[in-house]
Amino acid sequence: MNLFIAAFGFGLVSMSVIAIAAVGFTMQFGITNMINLAYGGVMISSAYVAYYLNKAGVSVWIGMAAGALFGSVFSFLLNRFIYAPFMRKGTAHLGMVIVSLAVSLMIANLLLPIVGYYPVSYQEDTGGLIHLGPIALTRDQFIVIGVAIVLMLAIHALLTYTRLGKAMRATAANPTLARNCGIPTNRVIDAVWLITGALCGMAGVVAALNAGTFVIDNGAAFLITILAAAVLGGAGQPYGAMIGAVIIGLMTELSAAAWSPQYKEVVAFGVLVLVMVLRPQGLLAKRGALAAAG
Amino acid sequence: MLVATEIHRHFEGLHAVDGVSIEVPAGQITGLIGPNGAGKSTFLAVLAGTLPATSGSITFDGRGITRLPAYARARLGLVRTFQLPSEFAQLTVLENLLVAAPNNRGDSLFGALRGKGYWIKDERRLVEQARALLKRFGMSAKESDYAGTMSGGQKRLIEIMRALMLGPRVLLLDEPMSGVHPKIIEEIQRYLQDLRKEGLTILMVEHELHMVERLCDSVVVMAQGKVIGSGTMASLRRQPEIVDAYLVG
Amino acid sequence: MNTFYAANLLIYAGIDIIACLALNLQFGVSGIVNFSFIVFQSVGAYTAAVLSMPPDTANFGFQHYIGGYELPFPIPWIGAVVAGGLLAVPVGLVVLRKLRSDYQAIALLVLSVIANTVITNADKFLGGAGGISLVPSPVGDRITPRTEPYEYFYIGITAVCVAVAFLVVNRVVNSPYGRSLRAMREREIAAAAIGKNPVQLKMTIFIVGGMIAGLSGAILVGYINVWGPTVWLYPETIILFAAIIVGGRGNNIGAILGALLVPVGFEEVTRLINSNGTLANFGPPGLLSALQWVAIGLLILGFLWFRPQGVRPEPRRVFEGGPE
Repeated sequence: MNLFIAAFGFGLVSMSVIAIAAVGFTMQFGITNMINLAYGGVMISSAYVAYYLNKAGVSVWIGMAAGALFGSVFSFLLNRFIYAPFMRKGTAHLGMVIVSLAVSLMIANLLLPIVGYYPVSYQEDTGGLIHLGPIALTRDQFIVIGVAIVLMLAIHALLTYTRLGKAMRATAANPTLARNCGIPTNRVIDAVWLITGALCGMAGVVAALNAGTFVIDNGAAFLITILAAAVLGGAGQPYGAMIGAVIIGLMTELSAAAWSPQYKEVVAFGVLVLVMVLRPQGLLAKRGALAAAG
Repeated sequence: MLVATEIHRHFEGLHAVDGVSIEVPAGQITGLIGPNGAGKSTFLAVLAGTLPATSGSITFDGRGITRLPAYARARLGLVRTFQLPSEFAQLTVLENLLVAAPNNRGDSLFGALRGKGYWIKDERRLVEQARALLKRFGMSAKESDYAGTMSGGQKRLIEIMRALMLGPRVLLLDEPMSGVHPKIIEEIQRYLQDLRKEGLTILMVEHELHMVERLCDSVVVMAQGKVIGSGTMASLRRQPEIVDAYLVG
Repeated sequence: MNTFYAANLLIYAGIDIIACLALNLQFGVSGIVNFSFIVFQSVGAYTAAVLSMPPDTANFGFQHYIGGYELPFPIPWIGAVVAGGLLAVPVGLVVLRKLRSDYQAIALLVLSVIANTVITNADKFLGGAGGISLVPSPVGDRITPRTEPYEYFYIGITAVCVAVAFLVVNRVVNSPYGRSLRAMREREIAAAAIGKNPVQLKMTIFIVGGMIAGLSGAILVGYINVWGPTVWLYPETIILFAAIIVGGRGNNIGAILGALLVPVGFEEVTRLINSNGTLANFGPPGLLSALQWVAIGLLILGFLWFRPQGVRPEPRRVFEGGPE
């Protein structure tokens, strides 16, 4: 029983990390219709940026901010110089998936000679275990949960109360109409990449922190979990991604306790498959997997 | 021939089709008119099977087809064209027609694996059939051009010819004449009327009211997802609500 | 150039050509973005291996795998073909039905990663992370492997397989059936509106492509006598996609061209680098291999931008007797 309570605690941390990542990913898809397979690559790059800063003596939390900044700029440039031009050229959805796959391959392999094969980790005092009822987590893990909650609230506030947020929602629902209503969709899209890129970068650092040690391959593996959460919640739906993150986070940790930690991604994948077979549009359905436009 | 009963089509909170029941009589050309956004194209798509009906039923020649997917309806002889250009861009004009023709022995995996000798006769026969159609509509010169490079009106024509290659029993046409050259429009009209004499049933969404008047035996008027009237154009003109809702002149 | 080098080149070329023909059938002609292609080649390799190997208790039982029926050539290869087709059935049924095409692509990509993870961790199933080795060479008891006569023999059977694969793919693509496939690729909804059943078409091609992919795996494993998860990571599929994009989509000549330019080129460059002392030690370990992958990515982006139709574009079909 204790094992499962502990797993539940880990699930809380897990879902926090996944939520930060999945919300960014799903917003990229929802507003720009881009399944950004390079998301994992940007995440891990940001994790390494924080790592090098950390090696130079900077605290991990400043590193996290740096990672967010890096992720933001990187994602913005990625869209400006690669994704947007291809989209303007009229590349179909499918073609864009191939483009993002090629980009992810390039990021991973450009990173490899710089950072090498060996796993690394952040150097910092994680603090002792803090007990909250039956759950025992380190101070860092509680901070991660806290960061996730703050970010989710911030995104909610952005989408509900700000003009930019409303413009984003309008662009997501109907880009042509939005443009015709005078919304500067290009600038909205730029803002989306900057904001979701920051989420991506932050998620990378937080995921690396949570994992303990990390290596380049972690990027691709984590992408599967993010995909599962995003699709489960309904592609393009930020609140759906949050719900998806909760479910996937819990499921993967509980299954790791029940069976084996090596199969965490397999569980996520299993969920992904089930969703696609039973309810491809996800939980908070709207536009999504069934759309006729291929 | 084609009977739709209480068709509803809801999507994302929008009631595009809100309880439409019509009967398309066999061997006649029926027009489907109405202002923009009335749900005509959506209704056509539901009839064709491209979109599933949220509720309601459809029978085709007495046979229930509500659950049948689009390709199966096409094989039964219920064929549609599209409002937006839907040609196969990287196939030539001739290929666009050929691909629609059923009864080609080469159009299956095992047929293809048996090699050219097995299906070349069918192919030649269909090429002749397609070429005859192309000639009739004045597109013979374009047979080897990519369909994607054709003009809007030509793409429209290609779609109609493609539908005709199937030997349909009911044609669902979605604004077939828009963008087509007036001379060709006449040719299409003549062809459709000939086919009607041979027993073809047509349901046609059209905006050009003169054409509707000339071609259609009867007309159904839709607005806001519902049928607001049906009958001949003359009788409809006498109904003030219809005139107010839609008819101008 | 000695025989072994030439044989190696020709046999790898043959395998890559077969793989590219299959992927072109799925992706180039029918529009199925099969990002899990390498899994099908792999299932063929594993099947051929466990069908031809002795039970895993042999050789002091240092590896664990299912099967071990010691069947003679060509049965393991036939088994590989069947396995490739069989795997396509459940995968296709799950992925190819209701989803839009980019979701399908993602699902298949994820499948590829997960399959690799599962096989790596399931130790007793197919050798686990270490893979399986000492896979017997086909007809190795009659002709001694690693000799010139054997190399010629293997080139011969590879060539036969290439011919068979080409015949099948050619007949499918250049037929009315191929035309229906291309129509479905162009505009699936319109294809359904003229009576084509997209699900049936996609499933059929997925299975046929899977069978041919399985064959390529059998040929490869029979030649290199080992197989393991590190050989079939998901980027291997990307190399083949690059080949199709570079060579030319939707036509078999383009697929062959792409196979010769990209995977063969990639392998040759790798060999060249490794055989040259100075080059092999250039920079940190793995730098050149990583740069090769970057080159693949650039190749894909470059061709998609400047020449999406590939080096040899899909030919326009002209029928005899038309207007002048």
